[in-house]
Amino acid sequence: MSLDELLESGNVPTKGDVTEEELAKLFRKFRGLQKKQERDQAFWAATNENLKTAYEKLDEKDRELARAYAIIQDDLSVASKIQGALLPELPGKMASDLELAVYHKQLAEVGGDYYDFFKTCSGNHAIGVFDISGHGVSAALVMTYLKAQFMTILETLDSPKAIVEWVNSTSYDFLKTVKKYATVNFVVMNATALRYVSGGGFGLLLSGKNSTVFQKRDSFLGLRRRPFHEHELPFKKGDLLAMYTDGIVEAQTDKGDDYSVQRLNDLIIRNAKEPVKDIVDLCVKDYTKFRSKDSDDITLLILRKKV
Amino acid sequence: MGKDSKASELVVFGATIQGYAQACINLNIVAGSKAENLIGEIEVTGWYPFEKLREIERVVTEAYENAGPILERVGMEMMLGWYHYGPGKEIVKRGVDFLYFQTGSQGYASVVKGPQELVGSFNLEFVDEQKGRARINSTTPFNKDQERGVIIGGMSAPGDLDYIDVKNQENPQIFEIEFA
Repeated sequence: MSLDELLESGNVPTKGDVTEEELAKLFRKFRGLQKKQERDQAFWAATNENLKTAYEKLDEKDRELARAYAIIQDDLSVASKIQGALLPELPGKMASDLELAVYHKQLAEVGGDYYDFFKTCSGNHAIGVFDISGHGVSAALVMTYLKAQFMTILETLDSPKAIVEWVNSTSYDFLKTVKKYATVNFVVMNATALRYVSGGGFGLLLSGKNSTVFQKRDSFLGLRRRPFHEHELPFKKGDLLAMYTDGIVEAQTDKGDDYSVQRLNDLIIRNAKEPVKDIVDLCVKDYTKFRSKDSDDITLLILRKKV
Repeated sequence: MGKDSKASELVVFGATIQGYAQACINLNIVAGSKAENLIGEIEVTGWYPFEKLREIERVVTEAYENAGPILERVGMEMMLGWYHYGPGKEIVKRGVDFLYFQTGSQGYASVVKGPQELVGSFNLEFVDEQKGRARINSTTPFNKDQERGVIIGGMSAPGDLDYIDVKNQENPQIFEIEFA
């Protein structure tokens, strides 16, 4: 039986089974295997050591990442408080003239939906609802910029067209630079009428049994240097005005069905006699039941003229 | 630097660099984009500054505290590639042929060019097939652990030797070889 056959059989050979030559070959093979094992051992020991070092480095990176994440979370928490503080309280005079409720929810700690209450240079109430492109810190920073612009110009102008055009004109280059734009829904109310400019926002006015949807034919802020259009509608005691961003109406179910403007407007119209706080709550409840998950910032503002 | 590189500086044959890099990849010493960077833009028939090879070597020495056994294995892996996918099978029929191939530094000279004082030599001093002993003297700029691996790998590749041991612990440039 040859050496190969003996090895194949797995049986331990006796002296007579192998020749001296085969025995010598076995010895050489054994030494060769010993050397190979030594080299393998050294290789795997070095590899193992390297793995251990790699894990230690990974651990350290994990800790660094956790520290950085905590700092970012702290910053975001502060930013969220700052943004919250920048959103307005209802001014006393406005509160006595209007019954008003707002639902405002940012997708992240800070966001790009923004609403504000102003008084024009003529003493008229003005309300703006904006949706800045994107989410997060960059959108929130743009919000603070736009707020400052509106606060500045409202001291000298009363026309929503003039106000929005001025803000667009002065903000255009900045918004281009930071690659942002914002939808705008801006309303100025006097004793008998409201005037509005709408560039991408959503608005619904209910007066008795009549409903009017805002014409949103204008461009977004920061998108084009074009004139805006001003529309005027009668606005009397008891009339209901809803202004909102796309957060609710573009929400989807798991199957991809849209909530839709129609659904929200119908819900508001059906419940128009209710207190505005109740209408907002109903809308939010319906939205929450409908959507699979929040995927955008949300602003829904509903007001009723009291006087 | 490509195929037409002048040998006024130390240059290495592209296939050698690629073989070195491929060995590192095969042994999972590098992966992903780092691996692509090692191989990228190397033409097998081109000549490249020796520094290119040092760059790859640094990948190993910076990652491993004890890089010796790893470089030895890289050298072995390189020669398996040379034998199975390169010209090795034509040159080396028996393990001992790999030693003869180093006579007068001919093997080394086919992959490294440049000023003699920088190139050095990788020369077979003697071989005794009966006793299973040989010696190679190396004055090349290559890592000596890796060169030990190259000798082991080159001699093992044909598969006819039962036993190979290469020692250079006393003098890194002198490789004492035992084989059977």
